[in-house]
This record gives sequence, structure tokens and C-alpha cells, in this order.
Amino acid sequence: MYRLLFLQFLRSRAVLASLFLILVLGGISIGIGHQFLSQKKTAINQVEKYQQGHIQRNVDLHKDDLGLLMYYVKFAFINRPNNLAGVSMGQSDINPNVQRITIKNLEGQRYDNDLTNPMNLQSGNLDLSFVLIYLFPLLIIVFTFNLLSEETETGTWRLVSIQTTSKVRYLLIKLSVRVLLIYSALLLLLASAKIILSIALDMNYLMMALLAFFYVAFWFALCFFIISFKRDSGFNALLLLSIWLVLLILLPAGINAYVTNKYPVPEALSTMISQRDGYHTKWDTDKVATLKKFYEHYPQFKEFGYPIEGFNWTWYYAMQQMGDDESAEDTRAFRQKMTERETTSKQLSAFLPNMHLQLAFNDLAGTSLSEHLHFLDATGDFHEELRLFFYPKIFKELSGDTIDWTKFDPKYWNDATDNKGNIEYIWPLAIATIIMLAGCIVISRRFH
Amino acid sequence: MKKANILLFARHFLKNAFKSKVIYIMLAIFMLLTAYAAVSGITNYSEQNAIRLEHQQKARQSWEANPDKHPHRMAHFGSFAFRMKQPLSVFDYGIESFTGNAIFLEAHRQNSVNFSDAGFSTGTLRFGELSMAMLLQLVLPLILFFLGFSLVVAERESGTLKILLSQGAQWKEILIGKCLGLFSLALLFLSPIVLITILFLIFSEASALATDSWQRAIVLFLGYTLFLLILSIMSIVVSTTSNSSKNALLTLLGIWLIMVVLVPKTTQAIGNAIYPTPSKLSFQSAVERDVLKKGDSHNPNDPYFNRLRDSVLAVHKVDDITELPFNYGGFVMREGEKTSANLYKKHHDSLLFIYEKQNNISRYTALLNPFVAIKNISMAFTGTDFKGYVDFQNQAETYRYQLAQEMNELQMQYIGARVESSEGKTNVVGHEHWEEFPDFAHRMQPFKSSVQEASTGIFSILIWVIASFLGLFYLSKKAKAI
Repeated sequence: MYRLLFLQFLRSRAVLASLFLILVLGGISIGIGHQFLSQKKTAINQVEKYQQGHIQRNVDLHKDDLGLLMYYVKFAFINRPNNLAGVSMGQSDINPNVQRITIKNLEGQRYDNDLTNPMNLQSGNLDLSFVLIYLFPLLIIVFTFNLLSEETETGTWRLVSIQTTSKVRYLLIKLSVRVLLIYSALLLLLASAKIILSIALDMNYLMMALLAFFYVAFWFALCFFIISFKRDSGFNALLLLSIWLVLLILLPAGINAYVTNKYPVPEALSTMISQRDGYHTKWDTDKVATLKKFYEHYPQFKEFGYPIEGFNWTWYYAMQQMGDDESAEDTRAFRQKMTERETTSKQLSAFLPNMHLQLAFNDLAGTSLSEHLHFLDATGDFHEELRLFFYPKIFKELSGDTIDWTKFDPKYWNDATDNKGNIEYIWPLAIATIIMLAGCIVISRRFH
Repeated sequence: MKKANILLFARHFLKNAFKSKVIYIMLAIFMLLTAYAAVSGITNYSEQNAIRLEHQQKARQSWEANPDKHPHRMAHFGSFAFRMKQPLSVFDYGIESFTGNAIFLEAHRQNSVNFSDAGFSTGTLRFGELSMAMLLQLVLPLILFFLGFSLVVAERESGTLKILLSQGAQWKEILIGKCLGLFSLALLFLSPIVLITILFLIFSEASALATDSWQRAIVLFLGYTLFLLILSIMSIVVSTTSNSSKNALLTLLGIWLIMVVLVPKTTQAIGNAIYPTPSKLSFQSAVERDVLKKGDSHNPNDPYFNRLRDSVLAVHKVDDITELPFNYGGFVMREGEKTSANLYKKHHDSLLFIYEKQNNISRYTALLNPFVAIKNISMAFTGTDFKGYVDFQNQAETYRYQLAQEMNELQMQYIGARVESSEGKTNVVGHEHWEEFPDFAHRMQPFKSSVQEASTGIFSILIWVIASFLGLFYLSKKAKAI
């Protein structure tokens, strides 16, 4: 009987077409993920190649004036994308993964955007996570909305109810045909993504697969619950599609509007202004006062004293430092606000399987907002390292030739929190699925 | 074809529709959603604009508070441009959440527009935004399809259609009457949104910002009205051609899925894949290469700048730059700014051209897809489209260029020819000049350019209206009663 049910199901043209469509779109999404990763890699290679030439050119021009040289030289700091980013691009299309910074004030540099087409951002990425989160539920709806109602509408239900011992069992067998097909499609796509995007078989990938497994289970349970009310096909299709619309578009959009309006981020703009004013106003104020503040921050450089005649680099970089020091308060507030946004979104998303899945995917792929914030912090550390290395050399007025420039290749960020295959991600989805399954069990009792 | 009969069918439909509970539930839900979208749209608009205006003023105050100073210090002190939200963005957010809000403007450098809402977002933004436009583009079509799918086919299934026709009603009257009924229901759903937008324009100071807001609103809602008309006809056509109610509903749901969800996203992704955006470094280094090719002002032996110097000396018949009647440093920077701004513009234009090509693929599907057409019209007339953003960037760059050149002029004019350093209080220009240079003010893009931008969409909507009527008339000759 199983084989017959299989064949009967596959005879429908709509079923085959939608199965084909999702595989094609899945394939396209993996292709897009591949292109995304290779674009990122090309960009990183360009940075690798560019840096030494860039340093060399500036050293040739300004080697006698290290202070001036360091005004121009940019150092790259790179967040190498995890290959999983090809599956879930998240925020990594808008937040740059390469920073090129000078040792001048940091706050004026580290928020610089990548080149992006806002229309692409608005329409969103067609990555595998999109196919999974949006299209798999639709496929499940198409496969199940008339599971029961087609039997009543064509008049076969009475036959079935006489001939089978358990009507529920018959429905479950019918359902299992669909479950099997969908999981095969999912498995196929996840496996191709792993191979094509050369994703490592680590905890992050396995966790993604597990989350995907639960998500599909959740939707099957939800659909089965709805169709168990024995309404007609049209009603089921409409209701399920409306649920899809509410869960996948209206609720997340509502949550987004809530978070955006509850936590506006004026601090970002204030930071911009205060870092400018912090640095530039020092051109007109007392040099000694500026240097004093600078030595309060870095007592180890006190030995360089208070040169106040004309222009000198100690004073100049002290002024630059003031840009960061005087905007520190705003920066902290900005950072605080971002964390609040992140926390609120995560809390709300725990009640919405699709949103939870997306945020969890972004976390696992290293494309989330918090990942970027950590990268920004790390950029700050990298910048501090550069400063501490170059400040004394500039203040001593060393020649550019005394520095071994070859060791200044682009630096990669070692993300300490790299393996995030944390079991906690499972709970919201697992609980939602279990609740739906319980609902199914309760309602399927009515068949007896 | 009798007008009375058409109205009869329309009235009959409405009477039936209001008999069932469903319509009240749908209206209630839609109104709630509208209220939520309106409140968050208006809150976001006023909050964001207040923040941006406040920062624009704050930045300006510290600009004006500068003491007497060397002009080149002021050129680097620089200014900010904050992008103001368009009044009608309370209705349609367009791409405003995805574009940067603030840009630092200084000499020699074209900075990026930073701090977009999308950059601040945890990723929830990618699920879409709940705006009144989104309700009209996404939710209302679904409601209309639901209210309209069975209108003809159910009468055929129950046999009443046969009776109607045998009693002398014409197919045309039936179809147009039902379309009219459905369309007037659609207008009922649309009206609160129109009302809210009009009230917002009247009672907020927003319309002072953009005086053509009213013209924009009129075209905008005219567009939506036609869009709803197309949807009504589409439902009736599908209902008439389907052999069962179930099939009619499934067809309409399929159309919705493909035209609203799948096609727009896929085409934009394809555009992005075919015309890849260059990396930031390759863009910047291309500009840098071109500027260096022309001449490197930091290199004392650069042939281009040496020639420039020699020619200036020759014109003024002096031997050394210190004998010139103006500050030569200011002059070199003026020329350098001109060159680098031009070269930057050249590269930036070709970048924009790539973006245009990416966007065009999805934009031209408007001809086949009225949902894309209305989206384009909506974004263009609310001023929240791609062109509006490019317009802001251009305004900011123009202002930046003027600021830099004004400071260079001041330097040439007031700073001694022998002066090389910008440090200290000796070589300065009076602070009254800072106030003289006006602040940046983001102007809304002109109405005409929005019309141009939306032309594909407008053309497509009109074609769709004509085609749907033709389809309806054709159907009224071919349709079967049984």
C-alpha cells in the first residue's frame, strides 16, 4: 500500500512542479551563497595583495617623517567569513568584514560601510536559509492541505473508513509519504550546500541541520493540526497560507517595528559628532592641556614632555586620541543600545520559530549583529595595538626605515567564540514542535 | 448592457458579503494592522527626523563655534549631512531603512553614508517591514482573492448562473457588476489608509518640508486604486474560468505566491548575481590610481604639479611661489579637489550604473507583474526609492565640494603666500566666515524626477488595466454557464 500511496501522490502535477521548484530555488540559493563567499574571498585577496604595495608607496614618499607616514598608512583587519555564511548571509551583506584603518582616531573610521545596493538589501538575500524558512513551509502546506479533504471531496473517504482498521493510521501513512519526500529534499539541499560551499562538518553545521529538522517537523505538525478539523480544501489552503503570512511576515515585521521604535539609536550620530569635535577643537585649545590629558591616558609616554612650539606629531596624535577619548561615553551608550536591541529581539524570537531559526542560523554562521559588534570591539583592540607600537616611534621621530614593514600583513581576527553549536538553540523550536504535536494528538482522537 | 443591471449585481454582491461574519473579521483585522502600521510609521518618522534634525543643528553649532582659524583646518573640521525622512515615508518605508543616514563631509575625501537602520538591526528587519504600503501590496490582495474567488464559479456550481442568464441577464452585466462590487469593497479597505495619510499631511509640519506632498499623494493613491481594480478583475476572471471553487482559490493563491513573494526576490537576486558589485577596496584603489595618474600633490617632484607651478609662476611673472599674490597651497588644493572630485564622480557614476543594471531586471518585470509595478510607483512617489537616495548622496557631495572649495578660496585670499603650516593662531581667517557658509539642508527630490522614475510602473499599470478589461469583455463572450 505504501508504494501505491507514493505513486498516487507523485501523480499530481502540482506536487511534482512544486517539488521541482523548491529544488531549483534551493540550487540557485546555494549558487548565490557560493558567489557571495567567493566575492568575499576575492575581496580579501585584493586586500592581501594591496597592503604591502600601499605601505611601500607611502614609505618611499614619507620615510623621513614617520608621523606623516602614519597619517596615510592603512592596516587591514579581516573577519574571515565562515563558509556557513553562504547558507545564512544574515547581516554580513551590510556589515563589512574587512576594516582598513589608520592609527588616527578610531571612531571616525570603524563604522564605514561597504559598497551596497540598498535595493538588494531591501529585497533580501536568496540564500538557503530563506528557502528553508519561507519556502519549505509553503511546500509543506501544498503537500498537506488536502491530505484529508481530497478524500472527502472525491468521495473516497467513506471507502477508506470502512476498509482500514484505523483512520488515523491511514492518514499518518499518507502523511509519512510527504514527510519522507520533504526530508529527502531538505537532506539533498543541506548535503549539496555542504559539498558546494565546502562547509566543515562541525558542530555549527550539524546544529543547523538539526534546527532545520525541527523546523520542518514543526510545520508538519502545524499543518496536520489544521487539517484535522476536517474543513474543505479551499478553507485549509487559505487558513494555512494566512498562518504562513502571519508567522513569516506580519509578526516579524511587527516585532521589527516595535524594536526599532523602542530603541532608536541617536547615540550613533552623537558619536560621529563628538569624535569630530573631540579632535578638531584641540587645534585651538591649549597644547599643554591636550598633552596632559593624553598622558593621563598613556602615562608611559610622559617622557616625551610638552613640546608646544609650532606643529609636532606628539601633540597631533594626542589630539587624535582626544577624538576617541571624548566620544567614549557616546560609544559606550551606542554599544549598550545595540546590546539591548539584540537581547529584546532574541527574547521575542523565542516565541516565533521562524525568527528564532533565522537568528540562530546567523549566530551559527557568524553573520549576526552580535558577531559584528564583537568584530568592531576586536577592531578597537587591533587599533590600540597599532597605536602602542607606533606612538613611541613617532614621538622619538624615528625614520620609517627602522621599521620592519614586511610583518604588517593584513591581520585576521581570531574569533574566540567560534564554535557556537550550543544546544540552547534547540529549545524554543523543540518546545514549539512538541506543543503542536500534542495538539495533533488531542485533535486526532476525534477520528475514533 | 444595462447600467441598472450592473448596479444590481454589484449591490447584490455587497449585500451578500456583509451578511457573513467573515468580512467583519477581516475588516477588523485589517484595521488593527493599519492602525499599528500607521502608529509605528508616524512614530518612526517623527522620532527619526527629530533625532537627525537635532544632530544637524548640534553639528552646525560646533561648526559656528570655531574661533578664528586657518581655513584648511575648517575644511577638515568638515560638516555632516543627515538624510531626512520623506513625509510620505509614513506610508511606504521603501529603502529608507537600508540606506545610511549620516555622512561626514570633509576636504579630499568622499566618506561613506553610514548608520543605516539595517546595520543596527539584529536581522529581524529582513523579514520585511510593517508599513501601510505593505498591507496594501501584500495583505489586501490576499483578502480580495479570498472574497472574490467563488463569485462566479460558485453560482455556476449551484446552478443559479443558468437561471440568471435565462432570465435575460447578460454575461457582461454579471461580470462587470461583480467586479464593481468587489472593487468597492477594496476601496473600503483602502479608505482608512488614505484618510490617515491625508490627516498626517494636514496636521504634521511634514508637508512644509516637501510642498509637492499633495501631488505625490494624489498620484500615489490613484495608482493604488487602479491596482485594486486590476486585482478585482483578476479575481473575477479566474473565478469565471475555473471549473470549481477550490481550483479558483488555489489558482489565485498560486498567483499571489509567485507574483508577490517569489518573483520580485528572485529577480533582484539574479540581477545582483549577473552584475556583481565591486569590492570597496577595488573601487577605492581605482579612484586612487586615477588620481595618482593625474598627479601626486604629496610628491615634491611630481611632473604634473611641477608643470602647474611653473605655468602659474609664468602667468604672474614671478620666480617663486612665495611671491605670488595668493597662497599657493590653497591653489594646489583647489586644483586637486577639482580633479579628485571629478574622478570620484566618474567612478561613483559607474558604480551607480552597476546598481541600476541590478535593479532593472526586477524593475522591468513590472510589465508582467502588476505587484512590482505598484511597488515601484509607491516607492517613487513617496520619495523612498533608489533615486531619492542617490539624490541625497549627490546633494551631500555637492555640498562637500562647495565647502572644500570655499575654504580653499579663503586660504588663497587671506593666508599669506609664505605660510605653509595651518597650525597656531597667527595664520587665521576671521570666524565670521564660518557663519557665512550655509548649513546643509536635505531637499526632497523634485516631483518630475519621481514621475520619470515611476514611468515603467505607471505604463505597466495602465496596460494592465486595459488588458484586464479586454480580458473581461472577451470572457463575457466565451464564458460557459454550466
